[in-house]
Amino acid sequence: MSTLRLEAVSRWYGNVVAVNDVTFDVGPGITGLLGPNGAGKTTLLHMMAGFLAPNAGTVRLDETPTWRHPDLYRSIGFVPEREAVYGFLTCRQFVHATARLHDVADPAAAASRAIAMVDLADAADRAIGGYSKGMRQRAKVAAALVHDPTVLILDEPFNGMDPRQRLHMMDLLRRMAAEGRTILFSSHILEEVERLSDRVLVVVAGRLAAAGDFRRIRRLMTDRPHSFTIRSTDDRALARELLVTPEIEAVELHDGVLTVRTGDYGALTRAVAPAAQRARASLLELRPTDESLESVFSYLVRR
Amino acid sequence: MTSALVSITLRALLNRRRTLGLALLGALLVVVAIIYRLSDPPDAQSLDVTRRLLADFGIGVLLPLVAVIVGTSAIGAELEDGTIVYLLARPVPRRLIVLVKLAISWLVTCLLITPAIVIAGLIGNGDVELAAGYAVASVVGALEYTTVFVALSLVTSRALIVGLAYVVVWEGFVSALFAGTRPISIRQHALAWAEALGGPGAAGSADLEFMTAVVIGAVVVVAAVLVAIRRLETVELRGETA
Repeated sequence: MSTLRLEAVSRWYGNVVAVNDVTFDVGPGITGLLGPNGAGKTTLLHMMAGFLAPNAGTVRLDETPTWRHPDLYRSIGFVPEREAVYGFLTCRQFVHATARLHDVADPAAAASRAIAMVDLADAADRAIGGYSKGMRQRAKVAAALVHDPTVLILDEPFNGMDPRQRLHMMDLLRRMAAEGRTILFSSHILEEVERLSDRVLVVVAGRLAAAGDFRRIRRLMTDRPHSFTIRSTDDRALARELLVTPEIEAVELHDGVLTVRTGDYGALTRAVAPAAQRARASLLELRPTDESLESVFSYLVRR
Repeated sequence: MTSALVSITLRALLNRRRTLGLALLGALLVVVAIIYRLSDPPDAQSLDVTRRLLADFGIGVLLPLVAVIVGTSAIGAELEDGTIVYLLARPVPRRLIVLVKLAISWLVTCLLITPAIVIAGLIGNGDVELAAGYAVASVVGALEYTTVFVALSLVTSRALIVGLAYVVVWEGFVSALFAGTRPISIRQHALAWAEALGGPGAAGSADLEFMTAVVIGAVVVVAAVLVAIRRLETVELRGETA
C-alpha cells in the first residue's frame, strides 16, 4: 500500500506557472487526473514520478521525496505520454531489457507475464517501430508493469487506443487496483475518467479545481447554469412561453437567435416541448452552447 | 542490470544509419592512402606524407567528426526523443548509466576510427611504429573527445553544433593560429601521444609537451565525466507540451 502525497506543490517554467499550490493525496485504488490540455497534468505526473523537481512544496511517495530518489522506481511504474519508444527493439526485447534493469529475479518470465497482461503476446516478437499507436501504448504499459510496482502512473494511457483496447486496458487497471495498488492516470476525456475511477482530481490552469468522488463532481458539473440556443418556427412566441417557466432564468432574443439559460438541465428539457405547443411553434433545433469540456472546467474554477 | 544497459546502448548506436556512414568516412582514409601509394612515391617522402595524412585527416578531421556525432547522440538523442525515460525510470544509479554510455561511445568511436588509421598508416608507408603511435593517439583522443561531447550533450540541446564549432573554429583555426591555445586542444593532446609513441617518423606531430598533454587530458576527462554524472542526476523531463 503506497500513497503519493503532494503538499503545496508549485512548479513554473520561466515565468509560466504550470502547477500552482496543489495539495492532494493519492492512495490505493484508481484515481483519475482530469483536465483540459495544458492544465498541468503532465507536469504533476512527472513530479510524482520523480522527473521534475517542484519549485515549492513537497512530492513524496509515503515518506520519501520522489525527486532524486531513483530507488523509488522499484515500486513505481511510469507510462509516459510521449510516443517515442525504442523502435528497433521488439516488444519482448524491450520489456525483457526493462526487467533486467529492474534486477527482476526471472526477467524472461516477468517479461512474458507482463506482455500477456497487456494482450500483446501475438505481436511480441515484432519490432515496436512497426506497431500501431495503441500497441505501442500497451508495450509501454507492459514495460511499466514488469517489476510488479505498487504505484502505477500513466499519462494519457488511452490515447490512440481503439474501443476494444480501451476496454481491455480499463479492465487491466481495475484488476490491478483490486490488488491494492495505487493507480493514477491522466485524461482530458470525461467519459474515460467516469468509467474507470472512484476518485477524481480535476486540474485547470495549474490549480486543483475539484477533488473527490466522481459523482459529486459530476453533479457540480451538471448543476451549473446551462445555456441553449433554440430555433423554432416562431421564436418570439416560444420565448414568451418559456419566460413563464420558473426554472428558466433568462431568455434572450437577439439578432434572431433565441438563447435561454437555466440552472436545471432536466427542467428545461421537460419545459421546452409544452411551451412550443402553447406557442403553436415547431421546434427546429435545441442546442447546448457551452458543453465543451473547457467550459465545464472553467466553470468549476470560477466557483 | 549493466548488461541490459550495454545492449540497449549498443543497439541504439549501431542501428542509426549514420553510424554506417561514419564507417565509410574511415574507409575514405584508407582509400586516400591506397591512391597515394599507387603513385609510387619515394620512401622518405611517403613517411612524411603518411604522417600528415594520419595527423591532419585521421586525427584532425575523422576522429573529432566521428566522436562528436557518436558522443552527442549517445545520451543526447534519447533526451531529445524522450526515450531516456525508459532508462531513468529504473532503480539504476545514474552514474552507471553515464559510465556505460561513455564506455560504449568510446568503444564505437575507436572501432570506427582506429582500424582505418592502422590500415592507412601501414599502406602509406609501412612504418609499424608510426601506425601504432597514431592508433594509440586515436584511442586516447577518442576517450577525451567522447567524454567531452557526452557531457556537452547533457549541458546543451545544441551539443552537435557547439561540438562541431569547437572542432572547426577552436582546434582548426584558433589553435592553428595562436600557439598559446594549444594546451587546451584535444587534437593536440592526441597528437602528443602519437609523437611520444610513434617513433622517429612521428616527430613534429604535436606542438605540445607529452606530460602537459597527459595531465590536461586526464583533468578534462575526469571533469567531463563528473559534469555528465551530475547533469544526468538532476536532468528534468518535461512533457511534450510543457
